[in-house]
Amino acid sequence: MRLALRELRRRPGRFVAATAILALIAVLLMFLGGLLDGLLDSSTGAYRAQQADVVAYSTSARRSLPRSRIPEDLRALAAKAEGVTAVGGLGTLQVAARPSDEPQTRDLISTVLIGYELAPRGLPSEPPPLGSVIADSSITADGVREGDTLLLGAGRVPVKIVGLVDDTRYAGQASLWGSLETWRTVTQQLRPGQAAPDAVQALVIRADGSPERAASRVEEATDGALEALTLDEAIDAIPGVSQQRSTFNQIIGVTVLVALVVVALFFALVTVERISLYGVLKAVGASSGTLFAGVVVQAVVVTAVAAAIGAGLAALLDVAIPPGSIPFALSASRLVLSAALLLVASVVGCAFSLRRVLRVDPAAAIGA
Amino acid sequence: MFLALTEMRRAWGRFVLLAGSVALLVFLILFQQALQDALVTAFIGAVRNQDAPVIVYSVDAQRTLQASQLDRQQIDGIRGVRGVGATARVVQGTSTVRIGNGDLTDAAIIGTDDSSLFVPLELSGGRRPSAHGEAVGSDVDFEVGDRVEVIPAPGGEATSLRVVGVAPEIQLNVTPTLFTDDVTAAAARRAVNPGAPGDLTNALAVQPEKGVEAASLTGRIQDAVPDVEALTREDAATRAPGVDQVQQSFRVIFLLYALVVPLVTGLFFLILTLQKSRSLTLLRAVGARPAVLVRSLLLQVVAVLVIGIAVGLALFLPVSSLRVGSLPLRFDGTVVVVWATALIVLGLLSALVSLRRVLRIDPIEATTGGGGL
Repeated sequence: MRLALRELRRRPGRFVAATAILALIAVLLMFLGGLLDGLLDSSTGAYRAQQADVVAYSTSARRSLPRSRIPEDLRALAAKAEGVTAVGGLGTLQVAARPSDEPQTRDLISTVLIGYELAPRGLPSEPPPLGSVIADSSITADGVREGDTLLLGAGRVPVKIVGLVDDTRYAGQASLWGSLETWRTVTQQLRPGQAAPDAVQALVIRADGSPERAASRVEEATDGALEALTLDEAIDAIPGVSQQRSTFNQIIGVTVLVALVVVALFFALVTVERISLYGVLKAVGASSGTLFAGVVVQAVVVTAVAAAIGAGLAALLDVAIPPGSIPFALSASRLVLSAALLLVASVVGCAFSLRRVLRVDPAAAIGA
Repeated sequence: MFLALTEMRRAWGRFVLLAGSVALLVFLILFQQALQDALVTAFIGAVRNQDAPVIVYSVDAQRTLQASQLDRQQIDGIRGVRGVGATARVVQGTSTVRIGNGDLTDAAIIGTDDSSLFVPLELSGGRRPSAHGEAVGSDVDFEVGDRVEVIPAPGGEATSLRVVGVAPEIQLNVTPTLFTDDVTAAAARRAVNPGAPGDLTNALAVQPEKGVEAASLTGRIQDAVPDVEALTREDAATRAPGVDQVQQSFRVIFLLYALVVPLVTGLFFLILTLQKSRSLTLLRAVGARPAVLVRSLLLQVVAVLVIGIAVGLALFLPVSSLRVGSLPLRFDGTVVVVWATALIVLGLLSALVSLRRVLRIDPIEATTGGGGL
């Protein structure tokens, strides 16, 4: 093993090309992962922030928030379901916004106005007063600051930003959190007919016991008029979320396979080159296990260096990508996961050389 | 040539690994290219493959058909702009539907008040609608003769459509899509949202007068009518929300994959050339011309790439007829040819380093005990 490390130190040049390729593959893995995380973060933030166990929609809406309508009587039935401790209404309106000092600009900001009752993480339990909202901090990328006023929709309905909250985007848009009254007022002005005075789009429900049981109790209590999902199910039901996750994970899986083949290829070539050297080492007493351990150590070191370079490049990419252009979110956990996948691929990949190492005949070293 | 092929036969394990990695990369590239094309087509196919050269949205909709709303004053204003010929009101909504006796699904229902404007450019089967309740459907989701029942929300009135024709690549927002008349589309919308106004117009499709260019007309419409965004058909498709992000993301991914292929190939042949340095020197000493060695190297590079690309293509072929979620993938021969050519060219370029080393071989080294490159 010491020999393997010494070779890496003395002749780093021979490992440079393989390290460069693996670093590129590491960047690819991290970029793909960051893209997936960015897409999911920007679609699901408003749900992940909910401090609730269950989300309920009208059954006919088929888990679509914009199409769901829940009247007051259904809400009352849901609130009476066994184990339910609190019920809050939720209403959303996807709407373009303009800064108040540029009412005629065509450079609009995509937002989603969300009316709430039960406070999600980071928001005050009492929603802001009518006409005021707390904005997702991603809106600052559009030059909007706390204290600014936004004009919503073609009707230029003003709302004042009285605070910022992190990681609560929905459908790729910056959320504006206000009271249900604010939501209803703005919706009535911009989309008459879409907001019934007593209806909400969804219910967020806190309950005792398991969320699954609470969900089924809410459905029973409303005689199936509501479809109740656990928070995780509701996140997965957001259009595109589960498809994006599975597609990206498959692509990442095949990319890891490429890394595995590249490592296998490189160390197969290196092993061929060292056959006579291995013969000598075996002749002086080195076991096949020791020799193969040396190959594994080199593969792990090369991959670790490549992963570190890849992480650095991915971080540079993260800085270089302008906010709002590509939904890219790089996290430490994603970097660690990508590096771990690469390391596993490298260990498995260099196992291809094991057969050749085992077949080395020490007698050949002394010309027998 | 004999030398190159014999070496590949003898050391097949290494070459199989290299061709395998190229094959996996080619598969990934083709799969992601198909995914990108399917995603973009399924998002905006209905806009790209309809016949109106100009589409006018409300500016607040940010080029989203369903979010757009034009009022009567704006519609009249657009119709009054010089150069505007025929126009059609476009109505669009998303409804829960049942196709035949199948499961419930969402569908985008688009209607116009002119049966010849904002309709699919071409049909792949059936005919165009001629009465209320008839529709042309996206051919990956519907068949001619399908009965489509719109599931009403509480208080809504049930309605249904009959598919009389199907058209390729006309999905909107990755959902099954139906083109029908404005009355049928409005009824479908009211079934889902009984409170929705009956005379809602999402967008106006415009046919420029003869001799008027679509691109110049869009500017005139925007100057004349406040709070509208007029776009040519192509701009409406390419500038739809999300399309640019999708394409930018895939561009970065393709660039990285396209770099990995030549790097892997280049590294492989460089190591191989270094390992063979003594043999190559000996060959030169016994009279082999540099051109023979170069041809041998290039032949191996091309062979590995062609085999890798062929295997990658073979892996991709069965996948290309599948659906990823609701996205129907498609095999595009042009894409395959472009990528195959690009990868072979990049692979050959990557072999230049090895080539240079082969050309630098001095046969005299064979007599002096040298031969290292």
